[in-house]
Amino acid sequence: MIGALLYYQYHSWWNRLATRLRRLRQPKYLFGAIVGGLYFYFYIFRGLGRGARGATPLAPGASELRQTLAALGFMVMLLLAWVLPHARAALTFSEAEVAFLFPAPVNRRTLIQFKLLKSQAAIFFSAILITLIGRGWGGGHFVMRMVGWWAGMSIFNLHLLGSSFALTMLMDRGISTWKRRTLFLGGAAAGLAGILYWTRRTLPPFSMPDQMSLTWLIEYVGRVFESGPIPYLLAPFRLVVAPYFAADWSQFLIALGPALCILLLHYLWVVRSNVAFEEASVEQSRKLADRMAAMRAGNWHAAQRPKKAARQPFALRPGGIPALGLFWKNLISTGQYVTFRLWLILIWSAFAGAMIFQTQSGHGAVGMFVVFSCAMLMIMSLISGPQLLRSDLRQDLPVADVLKMFPMPGWQVVLGEVLAPAAMLAGAQWVLIMFAAVFCPAQFGHFVVPSGARPGVALAAAVILPCVDLLAVLIPNAAVLLFPAWFQLGKESPRGFETMGQQLILMFGQVLVLLLGLIPAGIAFAIFFMTGKLLHWPLTGMLLGAVATSAILVVEAAIGIRLLGRLFEKFDLSGDLTG
Amino acid sequence: MENAPPRMNPTNAPAPQIEVEGLTKLYGEFTAVEELSFSVRAGEVIGLVGPNGAGKTTTLRCMAGIIPPTRGAVRVCGFDLGRQPIEAKKRLAFFADEPRLFDYLTVAQHLTFTARIYGVADYEQTGRRLLEELEIADKADKLPGELSRGMKQKLAIACGLLHAPSVIYFDEPLTGLDPIGIRRMKDSILRRAREGAAILISSHLLHLLEEVCSHVLILKAGHKVVDGSLEEVRQRFSEQAGGNLEDAFFRATGESKGEGG
Repeated sequence: MIGALLYYQYHSWWNRLATRLRRLRQPKYLFGAIVGGLYFYFYIFRGLGRGARGATPLAPGASELRQTLAALGFMVMLLLAWVLPHARAALTFSEAEVAFLFPAPVNRRTLIQFKLLKSQAAIFFSAILITLIGRGWGGGHFVMRMVGWWAGMSIFNLHLLGSSFALTMLMDRGISTWKRRTLFLGGAAAGLAGILYWTRRTLPPFSMPDQMSLTWLIEYVGRVFESGPIPYLLAPFRLVVAPYFAADWSQFLIALGPALCILLLHYLWVVRSNVAFEEASVEQSRKLADRMAAMRAGNWHAAQRPKKAARQPFALRPGGIPALGLFWKNLISTGQYVTFRLWLILIWSAFAGAMIFQTQSGHGAVGMFVVFSCAMLMIMSLISGPQLLRSDLRQDLPVADVLKMFPMPGWQVVLGEVLAPAAMLAGAQWVLIMFAAVFCPAQFGHFVVPSGARPGVALAAAVILPCVDLLAVLIPNAAVLLFPAWFQLGKESPRGFETMGQQLILMFGQVLVLLLGLIPAGIAFAIFFMTGKLLHWPLTGMLLGAVATSAILVVEAAIGIRLLGRLFEKFDLSGDLTG
Repeated sequence: MENAPPRMNPTNAPAPQIEVEGLTKLYGEFTAVEELSFSVRAGEVIGLVGPNGAGKTTTLRCMAGIIPPTRGAVRVCGFDLGRQPIEAKKRLAFFADEPRLFDYLTVAQHLTFTARIYGVADYEQTGRRLLEELEIADKADKLPGELSRGMKQKLAIACGLLHAPSVIYFDEPLTGLDPIGIRRMKDSILRRAREGAAILISSHLLHLLEEVCSHVLILKAGHKVVDGSLEEVRQRFSEQAGGNLEDAFFRATGESKGEGG
């Protein structure tokens, strides 16, 4: 039976690869593959030679401490696997696997073995990838570190499965989740208290050095981990992580044996568990299918299916321009996370912070840090914000047929769609402006901030940024309508590093187009500001410049919305339908 | 001319609510629908039938303004869907086989949103009546994810009927409905027709069409095979008197009924 399952797995993988290779004939995938390939080369593979020879060797003490910390981390993760879960054990199968395998004459153990074999492929590739990414983290040869990752992840995967089976058995015996958590955490707290008491008794006397240094701290932490029962407690976990930290091949081979034994014990534990997981798996596979469909449609928000209804942001009346209806709808779609209460808390924090801040002396450095951080966040919000906030056409394009039936002109559809992310970005930026304005010190080094400059700059930024946001959000929406095939629409949308390359191209395109769009507005601002400065009214010049800049940006956005509206009206869903 | 009223024909009979003239849709070199022409008057229910791949869904989507036809025109209540899309769309409703809802809007919020889009002033009263009629009034605060498939379909119907459309398209309206739901859907279709709506139903369920349709249009490979009243089509294609639509369908499309037939 396992042979049939392996046949399915092998051919699924091979057919998927063949499909991906075939689609490289299309320029959009070929360009994506080239850019994605270059990205992988420059950020991951370029240092492979160095990584294969072995990354930066670690000092013996540092390696020992890292191994101990890794063992500790592993232990904590395994302990959490006994505390956090609250649902019955469920192996995740695809909907097709559920439909074919569950009614088939396949026993439960075979299903588990199939699932483990399938997860091995993912673990193997993850181990390779993480070893490549983590080539600078130090350690031995590439293969040793890769096998180390594989062993650790495989044991963790098996332990998660085994513990979920054990927890399901406890549930079946009437031990509720909260009772189990209380017992477990109570036991863990008692154990921790005992360990601390024992460790304190055996730890050498603590003496603070005259000058605190990192070396002293590492040494001291190392001594703590060697005291009392901690070395015995961490011993099994150290065995799991030991292959990764092996310095040479002989050490690696010696370390690999115990790790494989632990892996084998876990495997036996899992396959011998006789727990009914089918019902929960069916439900999980359905949820997974829904989530995958939403994510592949580029709709990450919908992938997190709303659990409760969100409040409407304002009362929507039946009269007025229909575009406002789309704005209202999209605000509700994001309302699960961004609420009026959140804005109130942020504003209150800004004022509370400012009040405390004003009473302190010598706050120049803190103020500069806050202003700098806010400025950085604002720049990031302009670059990443439009990519992250997708409650617009990108969210609704999978239901474009519904939008096309609305009795409203295309420009209103586009306007209604882009307003929500633009408004949310503007709201976040206004909070940042407020923080920056209230925390801005009177002096930056030798530069004295002129009186009135703080509110002036804040006001100018508050006027300009919403217009920039509107333009910034329009760009990815234009890309969706111009190059719909580049966006993940429908259930069978592509994946892979060529898709990542496509996304990189789109992001660079977005930044480029935004910069081009900002040029006329920037020139207008510079003219007004310089004129004001020459006339010794820099603040007035800046504010007038802000108004002129906003006007230009609004005109640009209006033209963009009109053009996109026409594009939407002509947007032919046939390609998507026949695709 | 944008908001010109529907025209009347010279004989003073009501002008057709749905007029399709020379509708053609090409996907690349593939012809999905070719030179399709027909009309539906107020109170008529026309069944659109044909084997898989006949072009039914393409026809419906072109007629709803979802996809543009390559050639030809569709008029809804006298308004050209290509040139006066807003006026035309205000008067029509399309119910797809799968209800298309927004995951994050509750039942009540769907109605509020639809009312804004279609400008329905008295939507609260109409909406409440529709929800009660469809027996989902107690689900007003529920999200679509909390509703069964049948309830989702009822919500889609409530949204579609909120603006009292004069033209209604159904694509496989009975999919996923239980026997009570099927009976109510048939009654609802007939009631809307009696109230003066022009209705088009695309379905493979020929017995449903026989029960509710006054007219039928048979498509095959993108071409119209026949259209006319149910009786005319039956008489023209049935081998014997009193033959049913199924017999007529198989003879008209040249398909074999198989063993059972």
